[in-house]
Amino acid sequence: MASTKTATSTPALSFPRPIFAAISPHPFLQAHLSAPGANKGFRANARSAQEFRTPGIKTGTLTHCHGSAVVRLGNTSVVCGVRGEILRVEDVQDLPAVAATDGVVGGIDGVGAQEDEEEDEEEDEGELEGLRLLVPNLELNTGSAPSNIPGSAPSAAAQTLITRIRSLLLSTRLIRAKDLRIAFTPLPLNTNDPDNPPDTESQPVPEVKAYWTLYLDILFISLDGSAFDAAWLAILAALKDTVLPKASWDEDVEMVLCSDKFSDAERLRLRGLPVASTFAVFEGRGDDLKDVDMDEDGDKGPDWVLSDPDAFEEGVCREGVCIVLDCSDRRKKARGQIRRIEKSGGGVVDRDVMKDLVTRSFERWAVCERVLRGVGEATV
Amino acid sequence: MAPEAHLSHLHRADGSATYTHNGYSVIGAVNGPIEVQRRDEMPEEATLEIHVRPAAGIGSPKERHLETLLHNTLRSIILTRSIPRTLVQITLQVRSLPEGGTVTDVNTSLALLPHLLQTALLTLLSASIPLSTTLTSVLVAIPASKSSKPIAPLLAPTADDLLRARPIRSTHVFAFSGNRKLLLNESHGVFTYEEWDEACEMAEEVCCKDKGGVGLNEGVEVDGSQVNLDEWLRSVVKRKVEVEQRWRIAP
Repeated sequence: MASTKTATSTPALSFPRPIFAAISPHPFLQAHLSAPGANKGFRANARSAQEFRTPGIKTGTLTHCHGSAVVRLGNTSVVCGVRGEILRVEDVQDLPAVAATDGVVGGIDGVGAQEDEEEDEEEDEGELEGLRLLVPNLELNTGSAPSNIPGSAPSAAAQTLITRIRSLLLSTRLIRAKDLRIAFTPLPLNTNDPDNPPDTESQPVPEVKAYWTLYLDILFISLDGSAFDAAWLAILAALKDTVLPKASWDEDVEMVLCSDKFSDAERLRLRGLPVASTFAVFEGRGDDLKDVDMDEDGDKGPDWVLSDPDAFEEGVCREGVCIVLDCSDRRKKARGQIRRIEKSGGGVVDRDVMKDLVTRSFERWAVCERVLRGVGEATV
Repeated sequence: MAPEAHLSHLHRADGSATYTHNGYSVIGAVNGPIEVQRRDEMPEEATLEIHVRPAAGIGSPKERHLETLLHNTLRSIILTRSIPRTLVQITLQVRSLPEGGTVTDVNTSLALLPHLLQTALLTLLSASIPLSTTLTSVLVAIPASKSSKPIAPLLAPTADDLLRARPIRSTHVFAFSGNRKLLLNESHGVFTYEEWDEACEMAEEVCCKDKGGVGLNEGVEVDGSQVNLDEWLRSVVKRKVEVEQRWRIAP
């Protein structure tokens, strides 16, 4: 009796696991997710649908950078290095109006004043964007995945990632333009100067002489899904780790000089802590595989929303969602701000599902915050 | 203000359309189904290729990002499995942008995205590419309020509206399918889930035809001066069919 039962349950043609996954990825994942019994709802990588991979972060590994971080997310590993270079204002062709007037005024207020919220509200996006003070660059073609052949031009995927990272860097206003300005306050002029009557007991106005430009280079060592999450975490960690030397304008040599004392160097402060979470929607198929596109409400299996998909799952799923949110602002009712939602590729995620995904992202934020907490506080 | 559409005016392409709305003008052409390069060929579906050309200069990573978004969205509504091993190639050329569009707080590519989506759909309709559903898209902007009272979101704002409502707190692009499914969403800025939900509901009302029932919408449309995009799309298709069927009703 037992022998006949096993004979019927195992089909005549059976494949080992990796071959099944390679030749028919969609049924493979569906079989995993809809497996009966205790294993129900587990993906091929032994995570449940809601489970994220725990990030591992190590900072300060690159010695020639001002700040660096290595982030691992399962088999995805990313290196990010931040390097500051000095951009002299006289080399800028058309200085944005912000930098010339308001920006400087904001700068003085900020220096003396305590770090209160008003300073945080300073509008400095125009300065960062107009002068391109943040330059992210991303390299996928390191042999990180079989499709990314070393030496080829940046693929559309890489260019899309850079665009998303750059626009998120600017729209979250993560870095204060004030921290990147290198200002110079001239000494008060002599009172017997005929051109300058002494009654103007005004303080000398600091003048921005140069800026720090931050080059953020992101290098994928290996890519196994959720590239954006990993790259963004690496940027956060590297920026938190960034220590810029104290730079000042020297009037005599008319140059920006950097102090080589480590005690003078200042650590970059970030505004908030936005964390990205990626989801992929796996659409289950009914028995009738023929018209997958046609069926709307017809024969269609259940759908799963997978947190933090790996490369195999990303290959099978068409719809993707990415949520960036920030809970670091503890004051008033600003808690739980969403900074970005990106969703495309299908119609499974509606308003109700999105609510669930936002909740999942909040949990994810707490995990990432705990991992990032230690970064950038030990050394200075 | 209703958008303007002009269908099938390029004679060399399989399908074409020009879409003009709020100062944006995009011209689109589609060729397909045509023969596909060997390396892009897929055994069970059609390959989709999207090219976005900016109003000035050559394409940059920003355009690649827009292309990726359009590709993902259109792939979900084109019946790619019914025309396997072929290529559908869509080219979208931005013809004009609204004056002063760059000084607003809104990301320029985000503001352009709904217009590109609408144009792409019109070209596909013009070329009679098999589609599973239609698509309508709209931009919603939520201005920052100085008082505690929230300000009503702006629906499909013009560049002037955006300039007047500065500072903008968050901007959202939504695209809905003909059967009220949320196909695409790009939301930038600072917002809560409740704000997003409200914006999404507003967009759904404009993008999709009302479910029937209470006919209260007519009054709203008049003073909101906002046309229902689904109805607008239907009128465009109706005109297209009428033109194509002229020979039948000719005396």
